[in-house]
Amino acid sequence: MSRVVGTVGSVCPECLGRVEGRLVEDGGCVRLVKRCPEHGEFSTVVWRGEPAFSSWARPKIPFGGGPREAVGQGCPYDCGLCARHNQRTCTALVEITTRCNLGCPVCFADSRGAGRDLDHDTLARMFEQVMARTGGCNLQLSGGEPTVREDLPQIVAMAKRAGFGFVQLNTNGLRLAEDPCLAVELVEAGLSSIFLQFDGVREDVFRSLRGRDLFEIKVRSVDNASAAGLGIVLVPTVARGVNTDQLWDIVRFGLDRQPHLRGVHFQPMSYFGRYPENFTPDHVTLPELMTGLEAQSGGIVKVCDFLPPGCEHALCSFSGKYMTREDGSFTRLGSASCDCTPKPAEAGALKSIGVTARQWSSPAALSPNPPCPGQGAEPLAGRGAAPRISSPPTPDNDLDRFLARARTHTFTISAMAFQDAWSLNLDRLQGCCIHVAQPDGRLVPFCAFNLTSRDGRGLYRGRG
Amino acid sequence: MSLVFIPEDMDWVCEPCGERLQPGKVELTYLGNAFHVELPVCPKCGAVYIYEELALGRIHEVEQLLEDK
Repeated sequence: MSRVVGTVGSVCPECLGRVEGRLVEDGGCVRLVKRCPEHGEFSTVVWRGEPAFSSWARPKIPFGGGPREAVGQGCPYDCGLCARHNQRTCTALVEITTRCNLGCPVCFADSRGAGRDLDHDTLARMFEQVMARTGGCNLQLSGGEPTVREDLPQIVAMAKRAGFGFVQLNTNGLRLAEDPCLAVELVEAGLSSIFLQFDGVREDVFRSLRGRDLFEIKVRSVDNASAAGLGIVLVPTVARGVNTDQLWDIVRFGLDRQPHLRGVHFQPMSYFGRYPENFTPDHVTLPELMTGLEAQSGGIVKVCDFLPPGCEHALCSFSGKYMTREDGSFTRLGSASCDCTPKPAEAGALKSIGVTARQWSSPAALSPNPPCPGQGAEPLAGRGAAPRISSPPTPDNDLDRFLARARTHTFTISAMAFQDAWSLNLDRLQGCCIHVAQPDGRLVPFCAFNLTSRDGRGLYRGRG
Repeated sequence: MSLVFIPEDMDWVCEPCGERLQPGKVELTYLGNAFHVELPVCPKCGAVYIYEELALGRIHEVEQLLEDK
């Protein structure tokens, strides 16, 4: 029997007009049901299975600090952030180009082969604005495909000079695969980590989501990034029937490539930007990922390992932190459960900034990357080999034994469910901590920035 | 077990008890993980002395490695 478990603000997928929605639970499945006076009713599954929807909560005390835009038409039309937003920036995205060298059938940014690049003066101003507005956060360089820019190392260096401690590159890995020197140059410029599009371990997955075979290229990009000393996070776009059967295979691929491979961050496909034309919204929900990981791993990881986030809205993500021991066993680290009393959102964001930066960077215990020939350093016989791990004397106490291993072999499994015009819950949007920086200084929550109606119209992208 | 967590200066006294601290086996736990180490302990009340360098060094690092979001 169905019952209403909540009411939320949302939008009509056709006109993006604001509508009220009901969260309706029926047999462990929660649907967002909403009606637009003009375009009728829409019903989308937003939660399917265990853990129970009602159990997945981590309330936060809203953060209202920093510069805010005036509230005009109301959420989601005044983003920048507006006075009603409840969370500070944890990660700022700067889209340095709209160009792309891949042109996937599925792309939240709807990137294409040509487009404009932001110039250095604009980028420098944006980096300064983000630092000033947020008081410091993690930075992700995104696009388009950022590596199509020849001046990418200079841009990374600019971001470091602006004060960002953790700079991550959102990339498809094509250029990293074809040019081993690029990763080295990026490390030298100060890049901490790559967020690598990596959808599976079979070519049919890449053909479906990316339009071509890419697995061998992805492996080479991981090898080159590892050799250069970059932290690597695999980022699969998860689509039902395409790669939902290889969640654990992707994790295994990552575990086999520690210590530089630092985690897997699953992103269920959302219906914004560019996606298959004839579709019925069928979101892979967070609980399905959790139960899928438990089943596919044979119980090595468990649903109860994963906790809702302390930074963004609870319904937006899950994460679990692990360590691989010397004997190959995989142990969960961290809290056994979350404290579900309301906590300040700002404290959660500040903690997340630090935890994310430490976990997704290359381990500090690793020696510096080998230089690239022709870059002012002598060629090394060992170029291309993985950096050496510093080898302290064998620890003879528990603390040092743990530290020696954990410094290099922690690993996170996490997921983030982006929202689209079908699944948008304005409570979640107001708790968003991932913000897209604009040249005019505004910080627009990621899902508002990318939101598109069924016919492709957006509220923010391309209107900066 | 190593004595690495016993400071060179062991001239410490438990003020409430008036007892000189002695090396003792201690279990430190955080977020479900247990670490067995040797630290200065009051033989009377069992209070453990964790010196600043250890607290701000190794223990802080362990805490960061164990913590999740």
